[in-house]
Amino acid sequence: MAALVETQNLKKYFKSGAGMVHAVDDITFKIEEGETVGLVGESGCGKSTLGRTLIHLNESTDGKILFRGQDVTKLNKKEMVKFRKDVQMIFQDPYSSLDPRQTVSDIIMEPLKLDGSFSQEEIKNRTRELMDTVGIEKRLRMSYPHELDGGRRQRVGIARALALNPKFIVCDEPVSALDVSIQAQILNLLMDLQRDLGLTYLFITHDMSVVKHISNQICVMYLGQMVEVCDRKELFAYPLHPYTKALLSAIPTTDIHNRRERIILKGEIKSPINPGPGCRFASRCPYADEGCRQGVKSQEVRPGHVVVCNKAKEINQL
Amino acid sequence: MAKTRENFFGIRHLTVKYHSGNSIIHAVNDVSLELKAGETLGLVGETGAGKTTIAKSILRILPESSVESVEGDIWFEGRQILDMNDKELQALRGKSISMIFQDPMTALNPVKTVVSQIAEGYRQHQNCSKAEANKRAIEMLEMVGIGADRAEEYPHQFSGGMKQRVVIALALACSPQLLLADEPTTALDVTIQAQVLDLIRDLRNKLGTAMILITHDLGVVAEVCDKVAVIYAGRIIEQGTLQDIYDHPTHPYTCGLFGALPDLDKDVERLSPIEGLPPDPSVIREHCDFMERCPYACGKCKKFNNHMIEMTPGHMVRCWKANEEE
Repeated sequence: MAALVETQNLKKYFKSGAGMVHAVDDITFKIEEGETVGLVGESGCGKSTLGRTLIHLNESTDGKILFRGQDVTKLNKKEMVKFRKDVQMIFQDPYSSLDPRQTVSDIIMEPLKLDGSFSQEEIKNRTRELMDTVGIEKRLRMSYPHELDGGRRQRVGIARALALNPKFIVCDEPVSALDVSIQAQILNLLMDLQRDLGLTYLFITHDMSVVKHISNQICVMYLGQMVEVCDRKELFAYPLHPYTKALLSAIPTTDIHNRRERIILKGEIKSPINPGPGCRFASRCPYADEGCRQGVKSQEVRPGHVVVCNKAKEINQL
Repeated sequence: MAKTRENFFGIRHLTVKYHSGNSIIHAVNDVSLELKAGETLGLVGETGAGKTTIAKSILRILPESSVESVEGDIWFEGRQILDMNDKELQALRGKSISMIFQDPMTALNPVKTVVSQIAEGYRQHQNCSKAEANKRAIEMLEMVGIGADRAEEYPHQFSGGMKQRVVIALALACSPQLLLADEPTTALDVTIQAQVLDLIRDLRNKLGTAMILITHDLGVVAEVCDKVAVIYAGRIIEQGTLQDIYDHPTHPYTCGLFGALPDLDKDVERLSPIEGLPPDPSVIREHCDFMERCPYACGKCKKFNNHMIEMTPGHMVRCWKANEEE
């Protein structure tokens, strides 16, 4: 079965005063239909840029994006309209991603109105149905975003994204701005929706415990590139890249009796501006040598477990 | 109450109200806390629980325009902070008690070099020359891992984690006895967070600074605190030692917080969120604030006052059922 979404050597560079920012650099990966791919990495590593480029909110610099085998960068206007319906996005900040002057029902209705193929009656019914699906009380229909708490706002954002029955949703840190008790409600909702509507998610987050909970596959990103890709259980059981290991060890744990051994990274993060060849993690990596600074290759070291590190086998005694 | 005043730092019956339009917001309700010198207390709660209001009351930096009233006692080394005049407060702030704010991006002055910002604060409190203050500032920067060669740079030239380290250096320059850290690592990435937490722990051990760490992250608390107070709707609903709270969480809200966290070490199909939302802060109630969301609530909860119950010495829980279960 072909993947629902696939990229081949995808690149997105931004111009800046100091040179080209390599936000997404040569990324090849795929997302199977009905799955959730978790994308983790630290702020500024290009997670959001990758998500936005994937659904063509950013024009890509180079490479291919395939949606159901069709190259998204080569769609004509009519095909693009169809594509826009099939892909949606849920944003991080439920405070700034909703129009403060629209009521809840206006916000959810808008995509339906813009689509143009629904009658007034259908729009009303569908809006009611959507509010029900995401669990917003009917009485809040005429409320404005500022009257809602963060969790309800995020539900409105989700209802809006679902309006036109998308196939693929990019969730960009959808629970990062929420309190833990509310975060759990939204994560459960997203998982229920996926099961009921057959959705495919790219789930972007910096929170390892959230990504572990929701994903099938996990991609770890560092400075514009994937450094490790594998099944979620595999990643947590056998992290192979030195960066992934440090990332996992840094998570504060609530188990006060079994503390993890911390790997504290030293050194500075390399600039994403004209980064040059070689491993981008080399400046902070305790195992890096001259070879790593020259070039780095990707290898499948365990079945389905790809790691971009010259020394993966050596470090992990494989 | 005379007994408690002998202690290093304490808050007794602190109640803070804000006014908002026509209503009164009960932000902090009858909060009492105590801290010994060198101790670290984690103040845990969700958005709007009143954590930051408590910290700001301690330094008397609440926004005057919106505060309706501040009642209770806050004492520090035998002195009443709420009775201090401006001059006394000036001497207290930044010297004896200092604060690390959540957002390192906005806590620093963008048009001054980092070294001058630290030196400025130091000179306020220590009678010393500019050169001495500068020397101290550079020492502080080095202590938090920023080389002297970067001292003359401006905040925008630093990354988020580095900026937070500058803020920590600034807060610690006068060797305060008490540090209020309001979500000091929330804006940072995990690997950087680990570095900053390590730094805070090191400095605390080296300098013996007492600390109140305000956070919503139970993992962060577990890393650095000796004592924990869980706050809900402006009230402390459970407090005790780290072991009390993490090994024997008792209040249904505390248990709910632990249950809502995705667990890295276990595989759980569904998370168990705490259903519902925090109560309306403009209404003050006699009965339990958590009742509407509590899975164990019954008709009796409405009749009982929500007093604290002592489970084991020092482990207090605001739930009348605490002793009945288990």
